[in-house]
Amino acid sequence: MLLHILNRSPATSLVYRQALTAIGPEDRLLLIEDGVQGAMPQLVRHFEGLEGRLFALREDLASRGLEGHCDPAVQVVDVDGFVLLTEEADRTVSWY
Amino acid sequence: MSEESTRENVADLLVILRHGPHGSSWLREGLDAALVAAAFGRQVSLLFMGEAVTALVRGQQAGALGQKGTAATLEMLAMYDIDTLLVEAEALARFGLAEQDLMLPVNRLDAESLPRLPAEHRLVLTF
Amino acid sequence: MRYAILLLGAPYSRQASHSALRFARALVARGHGLEGVFFYHDGVHNAARLAAPPQDEPHLVDGWKALNREQGVPLQVCIAAALRRGLLDEREAARHGKQGHSVEPPFELTGLGQLVDLGLRCDRLVTFGP
Repeated sequence: MLLHILNRSPATSLVYRQALTAIGPEDRLLLIEDGVQGAMPQLVRHFEGLEGRLFALREDLASRGLEGHCDPAVQVVDVDGFVLLTEEADRTVSWY
Repeated sequence: MSEESTRENVADLLVILRHGPHGSSWLREGLDAALVAAAFGRQVSLLFMGEAVTALVRGQQAGALGQKGTAATLEMLAMYDIDTLLVEAEALARFGLAEQDLMLPVNRLDAESLPRLPAEHRLVLTF
Repeated sequence: MRYAILLLGAPYSRQASHSALRFARALVARGHGLEGVFFYHDGVHNAARLAAPPQDEPHLVDGWKALNREQGVPLQVCIAAALRRGLLDEREAARHGKQGHSVEPPFELTGLGQLVDLGLRCDRLVTFGP
């Protein structure tokens, strides 16, 4: 199982599609930086099929005032949770 | 013993290239990482994804002010024993490129097999 | 676990440096070893000795230096990417006949081979892109 990390918003960048192309059936996806916009209810549809494997970084949601705008399908983790996700994955792949 | 150390055919490094030549330094810097790894005796695979398929188009030239581009570097890959050149088939189609448009022989990778690739390498670098 | 970080974003232009430094501190706090931070592409600007951000903003260069001082984390800067962007240590400045230098220890200019070595030697390499 791999952890993919995406720091671009699906509203403005097609990089999320590259990430989705490379994500295996067990892999997880963590949204950080501008990527956390993808956790918003209107945008989370771009990550269909990742139920239970989609995460967003709490600090980056909070700094953008988006913590309360996060779809329930997204699991919110803090930076310790980020480290934990990297521990649990065999390796990480970053998309930016 | 971990799953990955027991699995066979795990190569050292996968370099994912995602940019075309001239517009940014991503392609050159990604290729440099691949060449250095190969020079140190590591097994390297290259994946041309998205816009990076345009890096393989024949007939590239120097850019403004003699900007070197990357075509010459690509021609050196075989010398460095980098012969696993994978191309995202969907990107070739999206850019309307056929294999005769490309300067090097490549292996087309369909959307089903692409996700297996990162797991088959000990280290993945995206550029 | 043994970790490595690859940083590709310039400080103050992109969030990448903040994210990488935050992640570095968190993984050390969880008891992991950080065996090196490698600066490549525009990430080499993190080594700019003369960076002078406003006092009410985080000083990223000092943040990296503190990580080195407190945890002994090597700060490795790709020499080819650095020289092109005007980031030279004393030795390179002398070699190129330049007055003054823009990189100082604990940042060290090194080859890309170090990145490959670091990535393959560590259990995890996490890339922070721009």
